[in-house]
Amino acid sequence: MQSPSNSSSPAIEVAGLVKSFGPARAVDGLSLVVQRGESLGFLGPNGAGKTTTIRILSTLAAPTAGRVSVLGLDPARDASDLRGRIGVVPQEIALYDGLTGAENLTFFGRMHGLRGLDLRGRVGRALDQAGLADRAQDRVGTYSGGMKRRLNIVAALLHDPELVFLDEPTVGIDPQSRNHVFELVDRLRARGTTLVYTTHQLGEVERLCDRIVILDRGRTIAEGSLEELRQGIAASGSAVERIHAGKRTAEALELLRAAGIDARVEEERPDLEQVFLTLTGHALRDEGAG
Amino acid sequence: MIRTALIVAVKDLRLFLRDPVALAMSFALPLVLGTVFGAAMTSVMGGDGENVNRVEVDFEDLDGSPESKKLFEELRASAALDVEAKTGTRGRVERGVSPAAILVPAGFGEDVRAGRKPRIVLYRDPAKEIEQQILAGTLVPVLMRAAGPAVAKEMMKRGMESMGFPAGMREMAESMFDSSAKPDESSASKNPFDFRDGGAEALGLHVEDVAGGVNPSRKAAGGAHAIAGIAVMMLLFGLAACGGTILDEDQSGTLQRVRLTPNAGGAVLLGKALFTISVGLVQLVLLFVYGGFVFDVPVFREPVALVVHSIAVAGAAAGFGLLLAVLCRTRKQLEGLSTLLILTMSAMGGSWFPLAIVPEWFQTIGHFTLNAWAMDGYQGMFWYGKDLNGIAVPILVLFGIAAVTGAFAWWGWKRRFERLA
Repeated sequence: MQSPSNSSSPAIEVAGLVKSFGPARAVDGLSLVVQRGESLGFLGPNGAGKTTTIRILSTLAAPTAGRVSVLGLDPARDASDLRGRIGVVPQEIALYDGLTGAENLTFFGRMHGLRGLDLRGRVGRALDQAGLADRAQDRVGTYSGGMKRRLNIVAALLHDPELVFLDEPTVGIDPQSRNHVFELVDRLRARGTTLVYTTHQLGEVERLCDRIVILDRGRTIAEGSLEELRQGIAASGSAVERIHAGKRTAEALELLRAAGIDARVEEERPDLEQVFLTLTGHALRDEGAG
Repeated sequence: MIRTALIVAVKDLRLFLRDPVALAMSFALPLVLGTVFGAAMTSVMGGDGENVNRVEVDFEDLDGSPESKKLFEELRASAALDVEAKTGTRGRVERGVSPAAILVPAGFGEDVRAGRKPRIVLYRDPAKEIEQQILAGTLVPVLMRAAGPAVAKEMMKRGMESMGFPAGMREMAESMFDSSAKPDESSASKNPFDFRDGGAEALGLHVEDVAGGVNPSRKAAGGAHAIAGIAVMMLLFGLAACGGTILDEDQSGTLQRVRLTPNAGGAVLLGKALFTISVGLVQLVLLFVYGGFVFDVPVFREPVALVVHSIAVAGAAAGFGLLLAVLCRTRKQLEGLSTLLILTMSAMGGSWFPLAIVPEWFQTIGHFTLNAWAMDGYQGMFWYGKDLNGIAVPILVLFGIAAVTGAFAWWGWKRRFERLA
């Protein structure tokens, strides 16, 4: 049901978002903009506020303070309208084990108001996309972890949402299934669907996301493309001390070469994991609100 | 080995003590059920005698003679009976208004005066077994006194002859009768005489079981009660489990996924209610058909009333199940709480034993459970052949319970699953 939108307004606009649970602040003044068609990697250690933020954006929780707009709608006030335009791939396998793959998809399609041939067609295509066409009539309880994960994703896409939240969609699956999930996400990106992708697998974010937001203690601590994050860390001088790009490097290189040593300078670029740990620290985090 | 066993035992004990459901099932449930049964049975079995209900007996005097009036007074004087003069007594017993009635036909006094065996009719409701035992134990000596020892002796002699007792035995019985010329009411009460051995006719007593439709037997009465009682109790268990699917779905994440669809909202709870009521109705139909075939329970005497009452029962049980589901945090909590409540309600509400056998105060408390109203309706239909009007009160109460529990379940649902936390 994706409708071509002429709107140039961002898909998500969040300003000064606060969410408190008693005295604890799960989200503490978060501001965020996600453009339409953008694929955003949403990172943070346990308890950083990711899940709480996604719950607010996807109409499941109300903010304590701040302004939130998703696809031009207020998630708390326009929940019913917004639910028809977003898709949420939950972290857990939210499927009925006692129903077949096709029955699961048909049920969720009907709950989204799809009917008849249109629904049947979408269910068939979704099963194809998930690589489950030949297991469509088997109960989900008999599926492998990877099969369930794939079905879990396509169940959120049946109604062709404009914006999809993917909450750790590849937890506990084998490389083949993970690759299949990547292909599904690539297809969504190619169609211009806006994505918010949460994961602890930083390699996935590097591969799938245009931009990254790193949250810690309910606040944004870094934001930008992977390249921008790397540069930010190098500029701050706080990161990889093994990069020695000082004035005397060239002199040292010449001396080495004069001594008959084949020397060269290689720049060591921090990967996202190094960036993440540098920004959020190495201390263990307990599971928290989000 | 012992050391390892002890380590395992201590670990299990620690887990057990931290599990409130297991604690409740192990300690609270036996105490609650013990209290319910203790209260019921001490009263039924006598206890100090003060709490035993007097058996209500209707008395219809078509003779109006001094002898019939004397019989009435004798019965009224009995500590075990609550005798009142009524008309249309057969119908009253048939409809379950009274457990028994004595009809004195015209000519009773004349028969007594002429030394003939007088004729009395006893209408009984076989479903009320304990009342019949008490009544029989009281009635025999009273009848003998009312008719006079000579007549009583003559009646006994004729009765024994008609039953084919040998002459020696008859003489022995007559001699025993002479040695205790005035039978003692209290001793008779201790050895209840329930008219099963044909002795009633010897006393001139025509016993007629009038409640229970085409099959007014004690066996059928037991079957009718058992089928209705088990149906209601298992319905509660079944529908609490159906309500529990809310918690299963909450835990698996499917409920949240359903909530993320545009028109979910209260429709989800309504869908759960429809599912739960449907399962309940199928469960009832299955058990009633089985009861009809296997135990001869006349379940289909009043089909319209049966359908309406069953919808009311299923609705009330579904509301109860859904309410418990939205109040409990986990499936385990639900299972513990529902078991505790349902077993208690079943014991108090007459699913296990007829409320007719317990004192009035127990019956009153029992009617705070939906089981009691459900049983009133089913027993009214199966046993007393009551139609829709006859069981209107239980039906209305059950629909009321359905509405109240349903409203609270709705409130709990909105608060827990729909409010944006």
